[in-house]
Order: sequence, then structure tokens, then C-alpha cells
Amino acid sequence: MMRNECEKVIDYYNNQLTESEQNEFENHLESCDECREELAELRALTEDLAFASEPVNPPEGMKDRVLGAVFAEESNDTSEEESDHSDDHHDSSVVAFEPKKDKDVSEPEQSSQKNKKPWLLRGLAAALILSIAGNLYAVMNEQESATQEPVEQPEPDKEPTISTDEITTKVQLQGETDAQATASLIQQEDGNLLTLQAEALEQLEGEEVYQVWLMEGKKPYRAGTFVANEDGEGAVAYAMEQLPEGTNWDAVAISREPDATSQTPQGKVILQAEL
Amino acid sequence: MSNQDLELYHQMTGGNKQALEAIYDKYERLLYSFVIKLSGDQTLAEEVMQEVFIKLWTNKATYDETKGKFSSWIVTITRYTAIDIIRKNKNQAIALEEETDLPEQVGDSTEDLVEWKEQGEKVRRAVKELSEEQKQMVDLFYFKGLSQREISETCNLPLGTIKGRLRLALKHLKSHLSKGKGGVHDA
Repeated sequence: MMRNECEKVIDYYNNQLTESEQNEFENHLESCDECREELAELRALTEDLAFASEPVNPPEGMKDRVLGAVFAEESNDTSEEESDHSDDHHDSSVVAFEPKKDKDVSEPEQSSQKNKKPWLLRGLAAALILSIAGNLYAVMNEQESATQEPVEQPEPDKEPTISTDEITTKVQLQGETDAQATASLIQQEDGNLLTLQAEALEQLEGEEVYQVWLMEGKKPYRAGTFVANEDGEGAVAYAMEQLPEGTNWDAVAISREPDATSQTPQGKVILQAEL
Repeated sequence: MSNQDLELYHQMTGGNKQALEAIYDKYERLLYSFVIKLSGDQTLAEEVMQEVFIKLWTNKATYDETKGKFSSWIVTITRYTAIDIIRKNKNQAIALEEETDLPEQVGDSTEDLVEWKEQGEKVRRAVKELSEEQKQMVDLFYFKGLSQREISETCNLPLGTIKGRLRLALKHLKSHLSKGKGGVHDA
């Protein structure tokens, strides 16, 4: 009311009207040749202005980021009506382009990189560690037999089998130090495997080792021995077939032991978690 | 030139990612430079770029070749998207004049589009021909996307005169442009 509709051309062009003002103005446009001409003129007069922009180099990696976001969007949101969206509506009316066609352009495959589950990656890491730990394990076995206390002697030279592994339990071990560890029980076709990865471990001295224990109630079972590398990281992969079958494991723990022969925890338990 | 754009555009609406990428490659630099001119802010400029190409890809903005060149259309979409995002940002208490992290204009920067290369210098020269007041009006209206009232307040001119003055300024600009090639002297 305050202003004549014809005075709103600029604000309409710059998308400065409220939705209702915009609708009113669009109604007005249908009957006002002058405003239509003015709008067309504004468009024509400004069409080259963008070229006045001084060239600027886009930041590194922008293309990947932008297109990554775009394709993540996919186009299954065609249900969103153009008119819901005031500025899009505006885009099309000012420039007088046709409203959005309802077209489904989605590609069947969804870019799924982002959705890859973290545990899959961890599984991969565990598999890598496995091959390293395998060697360690061989060394440990020699030591174990040297101690003459065969809790459960592992079968030597077991044929490697191809199996699809599955994590059945996964826990984060907690302790008083900064050290952290994740333990997983992995079900394989021919038995279970305990893998454990630890980081931020304190450096060991002399013959000290970190010993992993599986606990049945209060009874500890040795379940792998490892040392920390320079970065304070360590890991084990332990074939659980060496342990009594059918045991219900209650907890997993790591202790710092004076050497690799402890049959029960002699040193301090630094990390533990219930299973 | 626009035939190629049109073809790419149609392929893109058919879900062809390479086509969108080709459009992106072609217009990235122009649109980015344009948004930098509009916003003066790198982070915001990238956000605008993303929004523009999402609109394209999801068909929220639809190009109709009977209504004009593809390049004009994509520039228009970019302008509205930028103004919209700038305004939202401004509402979050960012000072109007604040021009944050304006990227350095790198020495070897060149216009990579033929149209831009041809027009760029001409448009800049034509803008220089305008009076200070006209320059300011064009800037506030087109590059800042301000409302009529804001323009009147900034320029200290009566609200009722803004539209007329702006049209005059733009017409001058256009006439300088069409006279174009060499030096232009009369106003």
C-alpha cells in the first residue's frame, strides 16, 4: 500500500521482497507492461557485468570439494517443489525461465566412499597387523615351550585356511594412563581370534613386555604378548584355539610384565575392559 | 559456443556426471571470481559455488535455451545464490563492510573464457566512464544486491529517485559498452 507496485522492480530483482510482496508483485507484473519491460531491461543492462570480475585463482582442491558435495547430494530430492523455495522461484521468474521439470536424474549407484563402515577399515588394519603379529607369535611360542608350562599347546604348522572373518565382540580398554587399546574377538571358520591394538603406551625397559590376558572370572589366561614400538604402539593377534574351548570370557586386560614368561599378572594391569 | 553448453547441460540433466564436471571446469574460474567480487570472502565463495552446482545437479534451477545464453543464466543463478548467502551471513551479525580474507589477485590470473576475455576489459573500461555516483549505484545494486531503501540510504539520495538514476547509470554503461572497442570519450 505504501508504495506503488511499480516501485518494487528493483527490490524484486534483488530478491528483497517478502514472499507475499513477491506474489503480489508477480500478479502486478502480469498486467503491467512497463514493469515487465523494466525488468527485462535490468536484465539486459546487467548481463555483462559479471565479466567485470578480476580473475581470481580458485583455492586448491575446491573442485573436488564442490563436486564431492554435489554428487553426495544426488538428485533423489525432486519431490521438493520449486515454488517452496522463494529464491529459486525468484530465479526463474526474474530470468523468466521455465519452472523446474520434474525429472528424475538419479544414478542408481550412490557414491558410497563415505559410508564405508569404520570397522571395515579397522578389520583391514587388523589383518595387516595379523601378518606382522604372526611372526611375533612364532617367537612367543618358542618361548612358551621353553618355559615348560604348557597350558594348552598350540598345534604347530596349521595350514592357513581361507575364511570370512566376523567381529563378534569389540571393546575399548580403559586405564589410568593415556594408553588406549581396542580389542576385538574375531570369529573365523576354524576358531576365534583375539586382536588388540594399543597406542600411547609407555616405553618398556629391559625385558619388559606387555601381556594380554583373557579373564574367566578371576582366572587369567595368557592371550598374547607384545612390546611397544617407538611411537608407543603395539598389537597382538592371538589364536584363541590355544585356550580352553567354550569358556565365557569376562574381561580382557593388559599388564606390564617384567618379562615374557609370566603365567599370571606379576606387574600392574594398565588397561582393561569387560567383554 | 553455447551449443556446446546446451549439449553438456542436457547430458547433465540426464545424470551424466562428466557433463556436470565439464560445465564446472568451464565456469569455475569466472563464477568464483564473480562471487569473490560479490562477497569478498573466500570461504563464502566456495559455499556459493557448491550451492550453485547443487542447484544445477538437482534440477532445482532449470535452464531454458529459448530465454538466453547459458552463461548468462548460470551467472544469474550464481548471483542470486551469492546474494542470498551473503544476506544470511550478514544476519548472523557479520558487519556489512567486513571483507574477510580477500584472496590475493595472482599475477598470472587470466580470464579463461573467450567471452570473459573479450568482455572483461571492455566492461571494466565502461564502468570507469561512469560518474562516481553511478559507479556506486551499480555496485550497490548489482554487486551488493541491496534493496532500494538501502541504496538510497547509502548514497544519501531520495528513495523515489533511485530507480530512475540506476536505470540511467546502467544505460550509460551499456552505451559505453556497445561503443566499445577503442577509447570512449563522450558521456
